[in-house]
Amino acid sequence: MISPGTFHVVTTELVVGAFSVAGLSFTLCILTHLGILKRPLWATMFDHIAHFTLAFGLAATPFAILSGLSSAPGEGLNSPILVNKMFLSMTGFGFALGCLLSRWRLGNKVWSSTKSLLLHGSSGLAAVGSMLLTASAGGTFARGESLLDMFHLPYEEVLLFPVLISAIGLLLGATMLVLSWKRMNPSSSVH
Amino acid sequence: MKNRIHTTFVLLLLLLCSAFGAAEPGGNGDSIQNMQCGGACHGDASINETSGALLSLSSPATIYLGIPTTLTLTATNLETSNSGLVGLFLLTDMTGHSDTPQDAGWEILSDVNGGAMNYNEQTLDSGQNQTSISWVLRASALGTTTFYAAIHHGGGYSAPFFGTTATGFEVTVQPVPEDLPRLAADFTPPTFRALDTPTELNIQTQFTNAVQFEWKSEDGLLSSSPVNTTGNNSWTISLPAALQPTTIQWRVILEGEGPEQTTPWFTLASEEGSWEVSENAVYLQAIALLFMTAGIVIALQTRITMGANGNDEPGKKYDAGDHI
Repeated sequence: MISPGTFHVVTTELVVGAFSVAGLSFTLCILTHLGILKRPLWATMFDHIAHFTLAFGLAATPFAILSGLSSAPGEGLNSPILVNKMFLSMTGFGFALGCLLSRWRLGNKVWSSTKSLLLHGSSGLAAVGSMLLTASAGGTFARGESLLDMFHLPYEEVLLFPVLISAIGLLLGATMLVLSWKRMNPSSSVH
Repeated sequence: MKNRIHTTFVLLLLLLCSAFGAAEPGGNGDSIQNMQCGGACHGDASINETSGALLSLSSPATIYLGIPTTLTLTATNLETSNSGLVGLFLLTDMTGHSDTPQDAGWEILSDVNGGAMNYNEQTLDSGQNQTSISWVLRASALGTTTFYAAIHHGGGYSAPFFGTTATGFEVTVQPVPEDLPRLAADFTPPTFRALDTPTELNIQTQFTNAVQFEWKSEDGLLSSSPVNTTGNNSWTISLPAALQPTTIQWRVILEGEGPEQTTPWFTLASEEGSWEVSENAVYLQAIALLFMTAGIVIALQTRITMGANGNDEPGKKYDAGDHI
C-alpha cells in the first residue's frame, strides 16, 4: 500500500491536470461562442472536454483533500496555509459542482446567450482558479515555494467567520441549491 | 438493484480508502502518551504488526533523588514507512494506562525535541536504521523504578507497527549527599524560547560556589557563555538570539564544597509561536463556502438561462409558444 503522501501527490496531479485542461477548454469555448475564435465547430468539442475534465477533477478532489489531511505533519489544521487550502478547495468544489449541475440540467442552453455563457464559463474558470491556488498553497506548505509566489499571495492570513455567520451561509447556500434544483426540474404539467 | 450496486461500490471504495488514513501516518506530535496512545491502531492486536526494532535504555550509574538525570533510548534495526517517521515512548509499565514516568513519580524536564514529553517523534533520513534520543528526568522518591520503551511506526502495506523493549530497565534512586553542588529542587529548565530575541536564562542552585555554562548548536559546535551571579545560588546567562527555528542544548558545571557536578544536556527549542484555530469553525465555513458557491452559481445560471418566470427563455410564458 502506498503512503498517504504519495497518494496525495497522485490525486493532486490528477486534480490539477484535469482542472487545467478544463480551464483551457472553458476559455476556448467562451472565445468560440463569443465569435472571437472563428471555429464554430470547436464549440461542442471544447464544451464536452471542459465538462468531462471538470467532472474528472471533481471526482478526484475528495481523495486529494483526505490524503492531504492524512499526510500533513502534526495533528489537525496547525497551519494557516492548511486552512486556506481547505477553504480554497471547497470553494473550487462548489464552483465546479454548480457549473456541472447547471450544464447537466440546463443542457446547451447555458451557452445560448452572452450573459449565460459568460456566467457559465466564469464559474468553470473560478473552479479552476480555486483549485490551482490550492495546489500553489500546497507547494508553499510542503516546499516553501510555488509558481504563484510572484503574486505574494497572503496564504498566512486566514479569514475565519464566526460560527453563526458560517451556519447562516450554509443554510442560505443549501436553500439556494434546493430551490434552484427544483426550478431546473419542474414537474411536468402534462400528465 | 442498481442502487444496491452503487451502495456496494461506494462502501468498497470507502473500505479501500481506510488504509490510507490508518493510525495517524503523518504523525501525532510530541505529547504525554501511554503505551497505546489511549487505544490507537498501533496498539490494536487485530491490525498491528510487530516491529523488528531493537530498543535499549541506558542511564548514568548513579542517580540521586531530586537531581536531573538522563535516560537514553537507542533504537536499532529500524524499518519505517517512506516518511521515515517513528514515535518513541518512555514508559514505566506495560499496562497501557497510568504508565508514564509522571505516574511513577518522575518529572520529565526536557526531551530531545525541546519539550517535556514522554512520546517523541523522530524523522529518519533515507537509509538510516537507528536512532538515539534522551530524556532528562528528576525522581521525586527513593527506590527502584522499572522503565520500558515502546515504538510506533509505519512500514510496508501501511500497517501500523508496534514494538517494546524486551525487558524492563531498572533504575535505583539514591539519597543525595548533603553538600553536593546541584540544581535547586524546584528549578525547571525552560524548553522553548521566542525567535529573534536574546534569552536570559535564570538558574537556581544549591551548595554551589561557581557555575560554568556550556551550550551546543545542532551542528555539535560547543560554546560557553559567561555566567553572572544575582545572589546566593542564583545565576543568569545570556544566550544569543535564534534567527530561525532550531534547538540548542545546554548544561552547567557546578562547583562547590562537594565533588564537581555536571548536569545533563537540556534541550532548548526556538520556534515561532504555535498557531491554533477552531477546527469545527474551519470545517463549517469550508462546507458553507461549498454550498454558497454551488448555490449562487446554480441560482444565477437558472435565472439567466430560464428567465425570472422559470421559462426556458426570458419573456417566454409557455412551452412551444412559438407554434401558437
